[in-house]
Amino acid sequence: MTATVVTLIARRLLAAIPTLLIVSALLFCVLRVLPVDPAAMSLPPNATIAEIEAKRREMGLDRPLPQQYAIWLRGALHGDFGQSIQFRRDAAALVAATLPATVQLAVAAMVIAGVLGFGGGLVLFRLRGTVLEPLADLVSIVLLSIPEFLWALILLFVFGVVLRVLPFTGEVAPGLPLPHITGFLLIDSLLVGRFDVFASACLHLILPAVALGLAFSPTTMRVLRSSLFDVYHEDYITQARLRGLSERQILLGHALKNAVLPTLTLAGVQFGILFSGTLLVEVIYSYPGMGNLMVDAVRNADLPLIQAVGLTYCIVVLLINTTVDSLYVVLNPKLRIR
Amino acid sequence: MVCDLPRRTLLQLISGAAAGVSMPLAPSLAATNDAATIGWPNDVPSWDPNQRFTPDAQPVFKAVFDQPLDQDTQLKLIPHLIKTWSLAPDALSMAVELRDDVTFHNGDKMTTADFRYTFFERVKSGAKLDIANSMRKVQDIVIESPTQATMRFDSPAPTMPQWMAFLGSYIVPKHYIESSGFDNFLQKPIGTGPYKLAEYELNSRIVLERNDNYWGPKPKISRITVQIIKDPSARVAAIQSGEVDCTVNVPVREVQRFAQDNAFAAEINPITRVIMLNVRADLAFADKNVRLAAHHAIDKMALSKAFYGGVAVPLSVLATPGTPGYIPQFTFNYDPALAKQLLAQSGFGPDKPVKVGFAATNGQFPSDYDIARAIVGMWKTAGIEADLQVIEYAKYFELNRGGKLPEATLYSWDNATGDPEIFSGYQLNPKMPFSPWKDEDIGNRVLALFAVTDYDKRIAGYKELERYAVENGASMPLLQSVVTVVRKQNLGYQKYGNGWLLPQTLQWT
Repeated sequence: MTATVVTLIARRLLAAIPTLLIVSALLFCVLRVLPVDPAAMSLPPNATIAEIEAKRREMGLDRPLPQQYAIWLRGALHGDFGQSIQFRRDAAALVAATLPATVQLAVAAMVIAGVLGFGGGLVLFRLRGTVLEPLADLVSIVLLSIPEFLWALILLFVFGVVLRVLPFTGEVAPGLPLPHITGFLLIDSLLVGRFDVFASACLHLILPAVALGLAFSPTTMRVLRSSLFDVYHEDYITQARLRGLSERQILLGHALKNAVLPTLTLAGVQFGILFSGTLLVEVIYSYPGMGNLMVDAVRNADLPLIQAVGLTYCIVVLLINTTVDSLYVVLNPKLRIR
Repeated sequence: MVCDLPRRTLLQLISGAAAGVSMPLAPSLAATNDAATIGWPNDVPSWDPNQRFTPDAQPVFKAVFDQPLDQDTQLKLIPHLIKTWSLAPDALSMAVELRDDVTFHNGDKMTTADFRYTFFERVKSGAKLDIANSMRKVQDIVIESPTQATMRFDSPAPTMPQWMAFLGSYIVPKHYIESSGFDNFLQKPIGTGPYKLAEYELNSRIVLERNDNYWGPKPKISRITVQIIKDPSARVAAIQSGEVDCTVNVPVREVQRFAQDNAFAAEINPITRVIMLNVRADLAFADKNVRLAAHHAIDKMALSKAFYGGVAVPLSVLATPGTPGYIPQFTFNYDPALAKQLLAQSGFGPDKPVKVGFAATNGQFPSDYDIARAIVGMWKTAGIEADLQVIEYAKYFELNRGGKLPEATLYSWDNATGDPEIFSGYQLNPKMPFSPWKDEDIGNRVLALFAVTDYDKRIAGYKELERYAVENGASMPLLQSVVTVVRKQNLGYQKYGNGWLLPQTLQWT
């Protein structure tokens, strides 16, 4: 099985290369079409036309578009995305500084979405045919219709402003230090033995992660329930009943294993969307991640930074998809045989 | 970005609702302690304080770095790192004497070498610094001793003292930057200011710790955390819940609500920032009647009442009350009948409107797009049909440089010094990139004023210019902008005419 998984990962990673190239080319071309002059915007307002022209040449903007793309791509492959116009700093360094916070948030949100999604799916399935089924259905539909930014606002209002039980600004309480080793605050605080920082970071993570998790769990709930419905029509479920297995044994030992496969595929797709969903949630909670950076970049038409953040999003989503595909192979023996 | 407006609206609605529900839970007065947290709307663009003229970043820069000259609360120039200064009668040189008791945060003594490095060597090195503009006339800085130097200019620089207190003019440590590298300076910036930068996390927080070796008055609070909260409604929620002790730039209606609560002090302070229309001298605005009609058709008081709770002062000249260039006795009236009459003289009217382009930002300053829409409505009644388009502030200079701005653009102009050169002088100078107004008549008047070295004559000249520009439709000032501050009742601060909220002036009472 290990060889199959490794082969699959290698194949998926290879397949990701053309995808990345296409996405990067699209991103590059779309941003170049915008009526914005990165050379002029990189310089102070009093820059002369000659200085702007010189900057344009330096940035390669006087060359044909394919050549510009080639220059940018060569730089990107070496980790050089150019200078951010707004911050006048290395765009890659800005992304590197903010990516860990977003990954941390997205992973926490996905765990919450997974727990709520699977738990909720099982509850929905268990309530089938009961008087509570319409109510459960209604709740799942209501949950499905609330986007992540609205959850963020509701939670902020309830737990931050009214009840005042959870913090809602930043990554850690003001009086505490920020250890920097890996960039992941939860890990770094443990590495330096600052459990107070760890606890504070966890508290600050709760509201944004739950906001994202709540928004992405209902789809998982409903897909899991539908899959379980399908699986329960299979002959082996009837056979299991005839063998005298309890409903609980049937669900956990047979039905869930098979029903979970489409849910897992969905979860992979969801994680990609959830990662992009961090954008608004990070702004609402002043969370210092890549989404917050992207909003700044877009507001300031900071093309090098938009390209760097955009491509990073793409890479992360491709990596997530590869991981999910590998998990799929681990869980589905049919794919291993093929 | 598409979701930005509804999200913000929703957040405002929710925080407004929160107010009602949570009033009984409003925090009691904070206990006096040695720390405070400020909810601040923007991060610093970089830790190079000379790099960008970003008004919102100045209070943070002024905590970590020092300026050669400072301003008192009424914006009068006062000595700071420069003890004394003497501008030559021809304004071609300025002798300065620096304090000899100032050290950087690493213990290095601040001398005229740092002064020369900041305002001459860095500028001439070709580094892309905004102070390259304000220091463009500096030909050299001759060091006479560690505390004495003379700035030499290639043309008269009568406003150099003002520039010494302007945005971006902070002395940086020559030896530290040259020995440990500029990247290291950006990572671990040091200045001579009352606070040391203890911690910085991009887009999240800035932690300042009191500099106990500070040469001037020591700050009362030893640790200040500047929490970056970009959304105004999130700042409202943060101050309401007690996550921050003080915040700025919250919506006016929220300020009015906080003012009813004894736990908070809430203020709307007029500042030296002007909201205006930047106009072109050509296209449909080549006709002076159309320009004047456009100005007479705007009910500035109505705009102030609708969008700033009536506290933003309507302006008739490009200067704010209390600043040297302000003319209290001059009023440009709101007169829709006269607007129609002027348009009729040029063959236009409500039935045959003149068509103009109009640009505005959305979210750059409070209610900008709403103000623009209201102006479109006022113009329509008079007989001006405006095609309103939204532009990104970041693109303003690029559009202006390319001559692509429309007839009128809603704009906000910040002048922390209050000097008229930095109001009308810069706005109407055709050689500067700030205004789309390119006209020889006004341009020559401005350029002549740039060379006037006598202070009184210079101010009188600018007053005359401001009036002339408004009467000729070259300048359309609208309102004096405001800054809103909400703080815990027992947290005091010093109020400045330009809206600064300096961490070093905060104190628990």
